[in-house]
Amino acid sequence: MLKVLIPTIMLFPTIWLTSPKWLWTTTTAHSLLIASISLTWLKWTSETGWTSSNMYLAKGPLLTPLLVLTCWLLPLMILASQNHINPEPISRERLYITLLALLQTFLIMAFGATEIIMFYIMFEATLIPTLIIITRWGNQTERLNAGTYFLFYTLAGSLPLLVALLLLQQSTGTLSMLVLQYSQPLQLNSWGHMFWWAGCLIAFLVKMPLYGVHLWLPKAHVEAPVAGSMVLAAVLLKLGGYGMMRMMVMLDPLSKELAYPFIILALWGIIMTGSICLRQTDLKSLIAYSSVSHMGLVAGGILIQTPWGFSGAIILMIAHGLVSSALFCLANTAYERTHSRTMILARGLQVIFPLTAVWWFIANLANLALPPLPNLMGELMIITTLFNWSPWTILLTGLGTLITAGYSLYMFLMSQRGPTPNHIMGLQPFHTREHLLMTLHLIPVILLVTKPELMWGWCY
Amino acid sequence: MASRLSRIWPTLYRARLSSALGSRCVSQTPKSSASGAAVASDLQPVSPAAHDSHAHAEVSPFEKNPDFHGFHHHDSFVDEWNMRLAFFFGISVAIVVGGTFIHYLPDHGMRQWARREAERLIKQREAEGLPLMTDNYYDPSTIVLPSSGEE
Repeated sequence: MLKVLIPTIMLFPTIWLTSPKWLWTTTTAHSLLIASISLTWLKWTSETGWTSSNMYLAKGPLLTPLLVLTCWLLPLMILASQNHINPEPISRERLYITLLALLQTFLIMAFGATEIIMFYIMFEATLIPTLIIITRWGNQTERLNAGTYFLFYTLAGSLPLLVALLLLQQSTGTLSMLVLQYSQPLQLNSWGHMFWWAGCLIAFLVKMPLYGVHLWLPKAHVEAPVAGSMVLAAVLLKLGGYGMMRMMVMLDPLSKELAYPFIILALWGIIMTGSICLRQTDLKSLIAYSSVSHMGLVAGGILIQTPWGFSGAIILMIAHGLVSSALFCLANTAYERTHSRTMILARGLQVIFPLTAVWWFIANLANLALPPLPNLMGELMIITTLFNWSPWTILLTGLGTLITAGYSLYMFLMSQRGPTPNHIMGLQPFHTREHLLMTLHLIPVILLVTKPELMWGWCY
Repeated sequence: MASRLSRIWPTLYRARLSSALGSRCVSQTPKSSASGAAVASDLQPVSPAAHDSHAHAEVSPFEKNPDFHGFHHHDSFVDEWNMRLAFFFGISVAIVVGGTFIHYLPDHGMRQWARREAERLIKQREAEGLPLMTDNYYDPSTIVLPSSGEE
C-alpha cells in the first residue's frame, strides 16, 4: 500500500517544483508510473478476503480492482485537462493538478481503509477537492448551483451515517472492519434500529446514486470540467457502492425486509433515467443519466446480498467506470471544438473524424453492454440474481436493458451519423493526445475480457 | 479509406480555415463613414490571433506546427516529448509490462488447477467405467468407530 501512497504524496512536490514548461509531461509520467505500480496490487498473496501489512490500510480481491481503477484514472484526468487548463496562469495549473492528486490520495485511503471512521473521513474529504474543481473550473453559471446540490445532498446523507457509526461504536466497542465482520449479528428489532439501518446506508445510496436522491448527479457531472466529470463518474460513485458492500456485513437480519423498497426504487430508476436519456438534448446530461441508470443496477445487486449480486456489482462498477469516463472524454472533445454540449450542434462527426468515430462506436457498444465486454457480464449476473430473488424483476431489468441499448445507439447515431452540418466542417483535427486518452480508456476494458477473474471479488 | 481521409483532412482543414479566416476578421470601416462618429471597431481593434478562454486561437496551432500533438501549444519540442513520454509510460510500461505481469500472475485459489483436475478426473473415470462421483467421500470400510457399549 505504501509503495503507491508515498509516490502519490510525492506528486505534490513534483507539481509545485517542476518548471512550467515540463509540468504536464512530468505529472503525466509520474502518475502513469504510479498506475503501473498499482497493478502489482493484483497479486493477492493469501486466500483471505483482506491482506494487510498494518492495521489501517488493507487490500484484497474486493477493493483492489477499485483501487487500480482510481490509480489508473489520475493520468487520464491529467491528459484530458491539459488542453483547457493550459492557457491559465501557471500557479492555477499547479493548483488544479494538486486538487486532482489530493482527490487521488483521499480515494486510495478511503478504499483501503480498514476502520469505518477512516473510511468516513476520507469519504467526506473527497467532497472538498471535487467541489472546488466543479465550482472554480466549471464553464457555466449553473456550476454554483451544481456544487451546492452536490455538497448538500451528500452531506445530508452522511450526517446520519456519522450518528449511526457512533452508535455502532457504543454497542460493539470497535469500528474496525476486520473485527466487525466476525461480530455477532446484532439484535435489530425496534423502530430505532430500523432508523439506524437506514442511517448506515442512506449516505451510500445518495452517493451511488439511488433514483430518488439522484438529482445532484446530472448537475454535478454536466457542470464539472472534464477531469471532474471523469472522476465523479468513474470513482466517486463507486465509493458509494463499496461503502454499501462493507456496511451490509453488519446490517444483516434486518436487511431482508428493509432492503425491499430500495431495490424496487433502484430498478424503477433504471427505467426512468433510461427514458430520460432518450429525450436529452445535452450530451453530457445524457451520459450523466446513463450513469444513474447503471448505478441503479449496481445498487440492486448489492442490496440483494448474494455472491452473484456482489460479483456482478463489482464487475459492473469497474467496467462502467472506464466506459463512462471514456464517454465524458469524447463529449469533452466535441465541447472543446464547438463550445456547446447540445447534441444537434455536433452531429455527423464520422465523416470528418473517422478514427474518433471508432472510439465513439466502441464506447457506445460497451455502454449498451455488448458481449463479451465486462459491462454485459456484470449486468447479466445482477439480472440473474434479481430474477432469483423475484421473477417479476425481469420485467424491469429487461426493459431497462432495452432502453439502455436504445439511448446508447441514439447517442452514437446522433453524434456520428447523418449529414454533417456546414458549421462543423471547420473544426480542428483530433489531437494525438485525445486518441491516446481514448486508447488508455478502452484497451483495459477489452483486456478485462481476457482475465475477468481480477474483478470477481471474494465471492467467486 | 479512413486512412486516406485522415491524411487529406489536415490539408483540407487548413485550406478551409485559411479561406474562412479571411471572412472572420473584424471589418474596419473607413473613417469617412456617413455618421462621422467614432465607430466601435475603431475603438477596439481586434487582432486576428485573438485568444478565447480555451486558447483556441483564431489561428489553429496546426498552422505553426503541423505536427501538433495536442500537448503544448507553443513549444513543439515540449509537445513532442510530452507525447513520447505519455505513450511510453501509458502504453509500453502500464499496458504492456503491466499486462504481462497480470497475465503471469499465479493461479489464485487454485481455481484453474481445480478446473483442470476435474476435467482430468472425469476423463479418467469415464475411461474406467466408474461413476463420476460416489455418495461416500471416504471409503466406509476404513472408518473405525468405537463400539457403542464402551465409553
